[in-house]
Amino acid sequence: MTSATAQVTRGDATPGRRRARPGPRIRDIQRAERRKLTAQLSTRLLALVCALGPLAFAGLLSLQNGVPADTLFGVWVHSSGYAVSLVVLGFSGSWGFPVIAGVLAGDVFSGEDRHGTWKTVLTRSALRRDVYAGKVLAAAELAVGLVALAAVSSTVGGLAFTGDQPLVGLSGTMLSPGHSLELVALSWAASVLPTLAFVALALLFSLATRNGIAGAVGPVIVALVMALLDLIGNGTWVHAALVGSAFSDWHGLFAAPPFLQPLLVGSLVSVVWTAGGLALCARMLGRRDFAGAGAPRAARWTRAGALVVIAVAAIGLLAAGTQLGPTTITTRRLQASLTPTFNRLAPVQQRELGRRVPVGTRLRIQPTCLRRGGGAAGPGDDWTCTLDVFIPQAGIEPFQQTPVTYDMSVQANGCYKATSPPSFVGQQLMRDTHGHEVVNPLYTIYGCFETDG
Amino acid sequence: MTDALRGTPSALASTPSPGSAPPDGGPAPAALRATGIVKAFGGTRAVDDVDLTLAPGEVRGLLGPNGAGKTTLLRSLFGLVTPDAGTIELLGRRQVAGDRPVLEGVAGFVEDPRFYPYLTARANLEVLALFDGGAAAPPIDAVLHRVGLGGRADDRVSGYSTGMRQRLGIAAALLRAPSLLLLDEPTSGLDPAGARDVAELVRSLSAAGVAVLLSSHQIGEVGSICDAFTVLSRGRVVWDGTAAQLRDQAPVSAFELATTDDGAARRLATEHPHVEILDGPDGRMRLTGAQAAVDAFVVALGREDVAVRRLELVMSPLEAMFFTLTEQPPLELEPP
Ligand SMILES: Nc1ncnc2c1ncn2[C@@H]1O[C@H](COP(=O)(O)OP(=O)(O)O)[C@@H](O)[C@H]1O
Ligand SMILES: [Mg+2]
Repeated sequence: MTSATAQVTRGDATPGRRRARPGPRIRDIQRAERRKLTAQLSTRLLALVCALGPLAFAGLLSLQNGVPADTLFGVWVHSSGYAVSLVVLGFSGSWGFPVIAGVLAGDVFSGEDRHGTWKTVLTRSALRRDVYAGKVLAAAELAVGLVALAAVSSTVGGLAFTGDQPLVGLSGTMLSPGHSLELVALSWAASVLPTLAFVALALLFSLATRNGIAGAVGPVIVALVMALLDLIGNGTWVHAALVGSAFSDWHGLFAAPPFLQPLLVGSLVSVVWTAGGLALCARMLGRRDFAGAGAPRAARWTRAGALVVIAVAAIGLLAAGTQLGPTTITTRRLQASLTPTFNRLAPVQQRELGRRVPVGTRLRIQPTCLRRGGGAAGPGDDWTCTLDVFIPQAGIEPFQQTPVTYDMSVQANGCYKATSPPSFVGQQLMRDTHGHEVVNPLYTIYGCFETDG
Repeated sequence: MTDALRGTPSALASTPSPGSAPPDGGPAPAALRATGIVKAFGGTRAVDDVDLTLAPGEVRGLLGPNGAGKTTLLRSLFGLVTPDAGTIELLGRRQVAGDRPVLEGVAGFVEDPRFYPYLTARANLEVLALFDGGAAAPPIDAVLHRVGLGGRADDRVSGYSTGMRQRLGIAAALLRAPSLLLLDEPTSGLDPAGARDVAELVRSLSAAGVAVLLSSHQIGEVGSICDAFTVLSRGRVVWDGTAAQLRDQAPVSAFELATTDDGAARRLATEHPHVEILDGPDGRMRLTGAQAAVDAFVVALGREDVAVRRLELVMSPLEAMFFTLTEQPPLELEPP
C-alpha cells in the first residue's frame, strides 16, 4: 500500500471527538453550493454584467446628450452622478433584479436534475433539509453580492463620468452630495429583500419544473405580469401585495419630508413572498421521491397545462382585485404634491438664469389636476395638471396670473413625471449665467407622494 | 486502479464500525437490517416485502435480472425514495418513520454515478466532502489514486468515460470511510481489469469490517467475492442464503458440446438419466448435468467411438441456479 492510501481515514472518526450532531454543518453545504454556483458560466457572466454593465452605461451616457427621461431622475443623469445610479436602480427594479434572481437561482435545483446528481448529494451525510438550506443560503448570499456589485458599479460610474453634484429630490429639494450618497446606498439596500423574494420564486420554478430555462425565465415573467398589473386598477391592496412593485419603494426616501411606509410595507411583503416560496420549496423537496426516470411525458404535459390554467386564473383574479382597497391616486394628492414641488423648483430655475430671488419666496399657485379620459383618480398617462401661478409684479395689479400646464404620467405607487410644453417654463436645456447648458428644472419634474396620506 | 487497489488490507480498517463493537458486549448489531420493504410505482410493486440483513464485514450479492427491483431497494435504503412500508436500520440506527435516514457511515451509489460535469474530479470530491462534513478533510488525492484516477484528477468530469465515472463513484464512496457500502452494479461499464480491481477492493474493505452490498444482474460478475446472496425477482426475494448453500443447491452446469457424431451423442444422452442435451440458441448442442454425470457421459462417448471435439463450460452452477431462480430459461441467455 502506498503511504498516501494509509491516510484514508477520517479525522473525526474517534467517537470521543465527534460533534454532538454528526454530519456536516449547513455552513459547509452552503460553501459547496457557492462553489458550484460560482463555477458555472451563467453566474460568472452575471457577475461580469453586474460589475461592468452600470459602469459602461454611465460611460455611454456621458458620450451623448440623450437622457432616459421616463425613468425617475432620468433627466438629471448629466447633472449628478447620483442620478445615474438611481436610473440604473430604476431599470434594475423593472427587470434587472428578476433577471439576476432567475439566472442565478433558476438552475439551483433543476441543475441537479439535469446532471442526475440529486442522488449524488443526497447519499452523503447531509440531511435533505440541510442540503436545501445550504442551497438557499448560497443563492441568497450570491444574489446580495450581485446587487451590491451593481450598486457599487453604478455609483462609481456615475461619480466618475458625471460627478458628485447635488441631486434634485422628488419634492423639488436639493440634496447635498453626502446626503445623496447615503440615500442612494439605502435605496440599493432596500432592493435586497424584494430580490430575495424573486430568488425564492426562481428556486420554486427550478424545483417545480425541473427545468433551468423555466427557472430563469419564470421570475422575469412574474415581474412582467406584476408590472402590467401595476398599470391597472386604483386599489391599494393588490398593488401593495405584489412584490414586483417593492423594487421602487425607495422613492419615499427622496421626498420632503421623506416617507417610509411604502418601504416598510414593501419589505414586509418581500419577506412574506420569500417565506412562502421557500416553504413551498421545502415541502416539495421534502416529499419528493428520487426514483430515477421522472414522470412519464404525458403526465408532465398534463401538469404543465394545469399550471398554466391556474396561473391565468390567478392573474385574472389579481387583475380584478387591483380595484380593492382605498384608492391610491387622487386629484387631491396629486395637486398637493405637484404644487410645493413646483414652488421649490421655480426659484432654482430663476437663480440659475441669473435672476435674484429672495430666500423664502413663495409663489401663489392654484392647481387643477384632471384626467383627460375622465375620472379623477387612478394611475395613468392621461393626467394633466394646470397650475395657475400668480407672479408678483409692480403696478396696479399686484399679481400676474400665468397658467402652466403639465402632462402627467402617474404610477400606482404615487410617483409621477410632469412635463411642460416650453411656452412658459422654457426649453429642456437652458444656459446658465456662465453660459453652460444646464437642465431646466421645471421642464421635467419628478415627484412622489404617499398613496395613503 | 491496478496497484493501489491490490493486496494489503485497507487503511479503512482503522475506522471503527459503529456496528462492530456494541458497548454492552452483546452480539454485534447488523450493519443493515431492512424488513418488509415495499415500494410501488403506480400499480407495479418494484420492491415487494423484501427483508435484507448484512452483518459487519459481510459481502452480500443482491442479484436479479433487469427490473427485479435492486435499484429501487437501494434507493429505499438511501432514503432517495420513501418506501410504502417496512423498517430500515442502518449501522444500528433505526430510521424514524416519516424521517429520512441518517447516512453517516453509509456510502455508495445507485445506477451510474453522476457528478458535476463542469467541475474537475478533484473539485467534485471536494464539494462532496463538504456534504459529508467539511471538517473531516479526507485526503482526496489518496482516494483518487486508489481508484486509478490519480493522473486525471484535474480533468473536468465532462470528459470522463463511463468507466472513469464508475471509478470516480467508488472514490466518492471511499471518501466517506464507510462502514456500510451499497454499490449498484459497480462493475457495469468497467473493463475486466477494472472489475477485478473492484473485486479486490471489496475484499479488502470487507476484511476491514466494512459490510458491502453489491447488486448485479449477472452472478458471474460478483459470484466469486460474495459471502452471501439475496436473489430478487419481480420485486420479491426468491432466494436468500450463503454462497456455500447456493453452490450446494446448484449442482448443474452447462457445456457446449461438439463431437464427431452428434446423432450418436444425442442417442447416448437419452440413456444417461443425469445429463441432458438441448439445442442452444446458436444451434449447437448444450450438455447439462452435474460434473460427475458429465464426466461419466464423456467417457461413455469415447467408448462408443465418438470423439469429443469441444467441451466448454458456458454456464457455471451458480449462473444456472440464478437463472432458474429468476425464472429465465438458461439457454436463451447470452453466454458469460
Ligand atoms: N421512477 C419509476 N417510475 C415507475 N416505475 C419504476 C421507476 N423506477 C423503477 N420502476 C420499475 O420498478 C421495477 C424495478 O426497477 P429497478 O429497481 O430499477 O430494477 P433493477 O435495478 O433490478 O433493474 C421495474 O419494473 C421498473 O420499471
Ligand atoms: Mg438497476
